[in-house]
Amino acid sequence: MANVDRREFLRLVGAGGVGAGAGFMLAESIKHPVEYLIPYPVPPEEFSPGIATWYNSVCGMCPAGCGISVRTREGRAKKIEGNPLHPVNQGRLCALGQAGLQVLYNPDRLTGPMIQNGERGDDAFVKATWEDGLSRTAERLAAARRDGIYVLSQGVRGHLANLFELFMGELGSDRLLHYDFAHPHPLYAANKRFFGEHQLPYYDIRNTRYLLSFGADYLTNWLSPVHHSLGFGHSRQGNDSSSNDGVRGRFVQIEPRMSISGAAADEWIPARPGTEGFLALGIAHHIVADGRYAGDDASLWRTALAGWSSGRVAGLTGVSEGTISRLAREFARAEPGLAIGGGAAGNHTNGVDTLVAVNALNYLVGNIGKAGGVVFNPDPVTGGSAIDRQANYRTMQNLIENARDGNIDVLIVNNTNPAFTLPRASGFREALAAIPTIVSLSSFMDETTLMADVLLPSHTYLEAWGDDMPQPGVGFPVGAISQPVVAPLYNSRSTGDIILGLVGKLGFNEAIPWTSMEDFLKDGWREIYERGSREPGDFDSFWRDVLVSGVWGENARRGGSVVIAPGVIEGMAVSAPRFSGESGEYPFILHAYLSTAMYDGRGANLPWMQELPDPMTSIVYGTWVEMNPATANEMGLADGDLVRVTSEKGSIEAPVVLFPAIMPDVVAMPIGQGHDALGRYARNRGANPIEILAPETESASGNLATSATRVALVATGRRAAPVKTGGESRQLGRGIVQSTGSRSAPAGHSAKLNSIPIIVESAVVESA
Amino acid sequence: MGVSIVPTLKVLKPAARFVVVATVGIVAGYFANAAFFPGTRPEQPIAFSHRIHAGDNEIPCLYCHVQARRSISAGVPSVNKCMGCHLEVAANRPQVRLLANYWENREPISWVKVHDLPDFVHFTHKRHVAAGIECQTCHGPVETMEVVSREAPMKMGLCLDCHRKNEVQHGIDCWTCHK
Amino acid sequence: MSILDRFVSGWREFRKDGYYEEFDYAWTMTIDLDRCTGCGACVTACQAENNIPIVGESAIDKGREMQWIRIERYWEGEYPNAKLNFIPMLCQQCDAAPCETVCPVTATYHNQDGLNAQVYNRCIGTRSCAVYCPYTVRYFNFTDHHWDAPLEQQLNPDVTVREKGVMEKCTFCVQRIRQAKDHAKDDGRRRVRDGEVQPACVQSCPSEAMIFGDRKDASSRVSKSMNDERAYRVLGELNTRPSVIYLKKVDADAD
Repeated sequence: MANVDRREFLRLVGAGGVGAGAGFMLAESIKHPVEYLIPYPVPPEEFSPGIATWYNSVCGMCPAGCGISVRTREGRAKKIEGNPLHPVNQGRLCALGQAGLQVLYNPDRLTGPMIQNGERGDDAFVKATWEDGLSRTAERLAAARRDGIYVLSQGVRGHLANLFELFMGELGSDRLLHYDFAHPHPLYAANKRFFGEHQLPYYDIRNTRYLLSFGADYLTNWLSPVHHSLGFGHSRQGNDSSSNDGVRGRFVQIEPRMSISGAAADEWIPARPGTEGFLALGIAHHIVADGRYAGDDASLWRTALAGWSSGRVAGLTGVSEGTISRLAREFARAEPGLAIGGGAAGNHTNGVDTLVAVNALNYLVGNIGKAGGVVFNPDPVTGGSAIDRQANYRTMQNLIENARDGNIDVLIVNNTNPAFTLPRASGFREALAAIPTIVSLSSFMDETTLMADVLLPSHTYLEAWGDDMPQPGVGFPVGAISQPVVAPLYNSRSTGDIILGLVGKLGFNEAIPWTSMEDFLKDGWREIYERGSREPGDFDSFWRDVLVSGVWGENARRGGSVVIAPGVIEGMAVSAPRFSGESGEYPFILHAYLSTAMYDGRGANLPWMQELPDPMTSIVYGTWVEMNPATANEMGLADGDLVRVTSEKGSIEAPVVLFPAIMPDVVAMPIGQGHDALGRYARNRGANPIEILAPETESASGNLATSATRVALVATGRRAAPVKTGGESRQLGRGIVQSTGSRSAPAGHSAKLNSIPIIVESAVVESA
Repeated sequence: MGVSIVPTLKVLKPAARFVVVATVGIVAGYFANAAFFPGTRPEQPIAFSHRIHAGDNEIPCLYCHVQARRSISAGVPSVNKCMGCHLEVAANRPQVRLLANYWENREPISWVKVHDLPDFVHFTHKRHVAAGIECQTCHGPVETMEVVSREAPMKMGLCLDCHRKNEVQHGIDCWTCHK
Repeated sequence: MSILDRFVSGWREFRKDGYYEEFDYAWTMTIDLDRCTGCGACVTACQAENNIPIVGESAIDKGREMQWIRIERYWEGEYPNAKLNFIPMLCQQCDAAPCETVCPVTATYHNQDGLNAQVYNRCIGTRSCAVYCPYTVRYFNFTDHHWDAPLEQQLNPDVTVREKGVMEKCTFCVQRIRQAKDHAKDDGRRRVRDGEVQPACVQSCPSEAMIFGDRKDASSRVSKSMNDERAYRVLGELNTRPSVIYLKKVDADAD
């Protein structure tokens, strides 16, 4: 080695030291951070760490009321499955149901009571205690006029509905409204008019051989989509040769824009919006005129339907005469065929007439009360009053007028969002300004809750006690208890407990003696238990059984003969649909539709739902306008061009998407985006087509005619291409999706490319 | 070409010594960390001695680590398990008083994890206990330890050796542990 | 033997026809396209079960979506005779998987259950497997993922949370298969029974379009379903031998 003087030596030592330090820190930096093992002071009885605990409950994401089984680990909900024992969904669950976990663990949940500290509508809420929040609310309620107290809730059933009724009774107010955007008001009205029925019937899609759907997107959001999907699957391919002679069900969908149910159908028939009722009458005319109906009242029918020949109907609907008579023939021959209606067909100015005509079809083919047809439901075991509380658009207009006239002192809102789901033209948001006290029980800061003065946030359905009797039922009484699957995350309370808290403050304890929703529920179920002939002392095991299995039912079906209301046949008619806006100025009819992911807008704050590609277009995170490609071509519009959609009542912007299965003068937009509140995932994204809907209503039911708005489309010159996950939307001969011409592939039908033999591997491996 | 690296090397030659010494230093420092601060014997909030409990008093492992037989994680006993004895036994000792303090406040004890596997390893105690493997096989002679220390290297080689030797069904399939 | 001969004979041994008949189980899935409605319940169920991250709009715009099962939609025809067909596409667990041949570190291989295994901690992120896959069912983690609190409380502890730089794909819910085998062992060494294990997608499907099971068990539902006359394999001509078998949609009006 060369000479190393002292300075050199010191420098070398320094270099070595720095190196050692660096090496030490390197080793330190790649070390795994310390983890801790933290046991419980007292271990909970309900679970063991590392082993999952399952709870059965009821889904609260839409009104279908499916039963769920929730897998929890260490007190946290991990996965929601369908409850196999529940007759509505039989172990299956839709995408929105799966996303319930993101409602529970949503980062934008309201975590406790709050009081508005600024102007109405400011985001200036400050935290408060329950004592404070409940006291304030009770004060205002006590000081209010009896008729000045309005409670506006999402649709609730079961015992919570009963509790609301008791509460309103004590308050001396009858102004209890359940408001759900998607509630099928015209369907209820049509069943009332035709059959005199208060409940919706059970539509037995499972056992039908021919489903004629007038606008009802039964696979996505009409009544009970999971149940219908089960039925669809079975009707298609569940009937093997050992049952029901192996007939594959045929599905026909009549609507101006192909929905999911339209895509699943064997035949999609576009009919002019609002003319579906004429088509139904035309088919009915043919069934009777061709002698396929042999009832005692056949001549009455013949007279009533005389004017609805296929020639006339073809002119009105745009559906050819040949198709009309063919549909009539096929439907009548199906044995059984089933006709259902809803969606755009029901939500029109002639919606109830249309659905009455659809009922007529069922009557004429004799499927009432039979398998594969229309089966009447018994009354729900409890909570039945809820049906009458459902508020349609006319009721909401009354509420708005009353607010404007200063007749409302206190408005309590429970998990419903009319500020988003009512058209701007209704004036709902403005009317709120005239209400002195607004209290919201909602779990999220949605558009309506933002306008409240006091926030008393409720638990999400996974944290609360409750129960549900699904409506429509499945032909026999069914009930399920909704139990908490996790301890509440925040300082919220269940809706029932909030009401009972107010009961306490207002001194209604004599009439309403319960102090918790769980007690109220249990007492209510004691009554249900005692309906059957059981030992009174065994209620506790009954309660436990219902909780563990997740469902209760009674073998009590409706019997009796079918009687249609007098005068119905003679009065069979469908009025012409009315639209807002002249066709010259507003050449397109706006078809605003519900999707699985967004439903009525409630899915927008769930990231899984934002990221679920729309099945028809594969678009995520946005709103768009679907147009017929030929029409778009004529207008010089390309996929992704931003257009302004204007009705008589307002305008919104959205990009164009070319959609092959929509009528040339119809444009369609999904509902759900366009929020300006409801959290980080929902805000300031897309547009809300409900905003620009015209307030046309159906005269009989008072229902909002959502498909009666005409719009104009104007290019803005800008582009805003929607984000899609799907690539090329045509197969281009790749044979990815293959179809065969019949239920089973005829010999020699398979393409040569696919001639690889399919191997059944047996458990026994033969030696070579 | 007329370019050569040699002049550069000549210029750098004086620094060569420093580079060599620094490199030796880095390596030495790295291994010194591993040797002197391996983290295998962390200090615990309470000086619990397995020698006294599992060794002298011969309390079986599964009496406290109840979950090991039924679950993926063996867990540590809950505070009330300890208090089951220590409400009376040795109640005056300082460490037991510490424990009683936790119990009175119903406060959980943050034990430092000694045998920590990465998150992508899904080890299940249930199967190993059911196979009759002694806890000491991986955890070392715990009943002699005053402070729990990590005896086994906790690397995949340990698992694979045992799985191969005992011919565990699908034992060397990656997805058995790394699902 | 020369090195080349040894290599060739070893390769032949590895890829011989009988190699995969030594499967312990042969997990197979059939999807009936005549029942599938394109609703997307399977997509969300999978996301919930497998800790699939939310990648966000801009990532999807770059083609970086993260869905182990996706619904593909294909239009046919023009208005008014347009038809729309849906097909769920997930990792086909090919017995002759192209992706397995290319991985330089064998982070993906075929295991004894007939599954195409992806080992996250071994993957170095070359992404060649995604290129080789003809079904485009492999997804890469281009970023580390973040869950806005408390959404991370929902994460499934039985499934690894993947970091930036690793490939991932459908595993036929191997954690459920492992758990089913675990329970079978608890019951004393019996085989997993038909229907005992369902991947999340199969369990959720509202129209019961998907069937899952062991095709080595001749009495299982899936064995019967895969031998339906309508059965076919997507891109079957590529000879990847997928374990996902589709049942052709029925066009009732075709001649």
